[in-house]
Amino acid sequence: MLNSLLSRYTRTLSLVLVLLLVIVLELFEVRTSIYGNALPFFEWMRNSFWLGVLGTTYGSVYATVEAVHLLSMAVIGGTVLAADLRLLGIIFRDIPSETLTQGTHKCFRISLTVSVATGIFCAAGVADKVYYMEVFWIKMLVLISGSCFVFLFKQPLLNSRPHDEINPWALRLLAVTSLLIWFTVAATGRWIGFS
Amino acid sequence: MNKNNKWDDKEIAATGTAVIILGGLILYWLLQMESTLELLELAYGSVKLFNNPLVF
Repeated sequence: MLNSLLSRYTRTLSLVLVLLLVIVLELFEVRTSIYGNALPFFEWMRNSFWLGVLGTTYGSVYATVEAVHLLSMAVIGGTVLAADLRLLGIIFRDIPSETLTQGTHKCFRISLTVSVATGIFCAAGVADKVYYMEVFWIKMLVLISGSCFVFLFKQPLLNSRPHDEINPWALRLLAVTSLLIWFTVAATGRWIGFS
Repeated sequence: MNKNNKWDDKEIAATGTAVIILGGLILYWLLQMESTLELLELAYGSVKLFNNPLVF
């Protein structure tokens, strides 16, 4: 009985375990202690790490890398809008949603990798500032949880079978959640720039 | 959803994650909106959503 439950609902049980782990870590204030100890690392990134030094010394390099960062974010936005609005049945109704979600996901993976790589460079240049910004940590939290959501839950479900065999309300919920995740990542990213 | 209309593991996990993340994000943006309105009220005395809040 227990074995069959474990084998049939592995993902769901893993999700519950991760949630419990997060609650336990919060109860023991692990996040707070990590935050307190992370300041020297951020100061090192800004002042000693070659990425931080390069970004603060050469403004043109920082601007170029930030432009690539924004372009990759734009590509992410385009792929997310195309795939999720198709799942909601708003656009591209003549294209099968399986074709669209699989095609855009390849592009999404590449642009997410580029945006994370360039984002590390951008953050290193202003590491001593972003450390104190709540919105920066919100962005990191949403980015990590959003990436886990897409790669561990959303895409495996969408790739597992034809979409007409998936509950339509589940598809709509996935699409709306994905839209809000990447909207929040983009909005908090711009918010960092204005903080 | 399989042929018996039962949700399978992938669907439950994806939906559960979506509900948690969506709930968290909606709460976050609502709290941001509330704190923004409070700041506007502190600055201008009152906020009229359908009028220009800068005009008393």
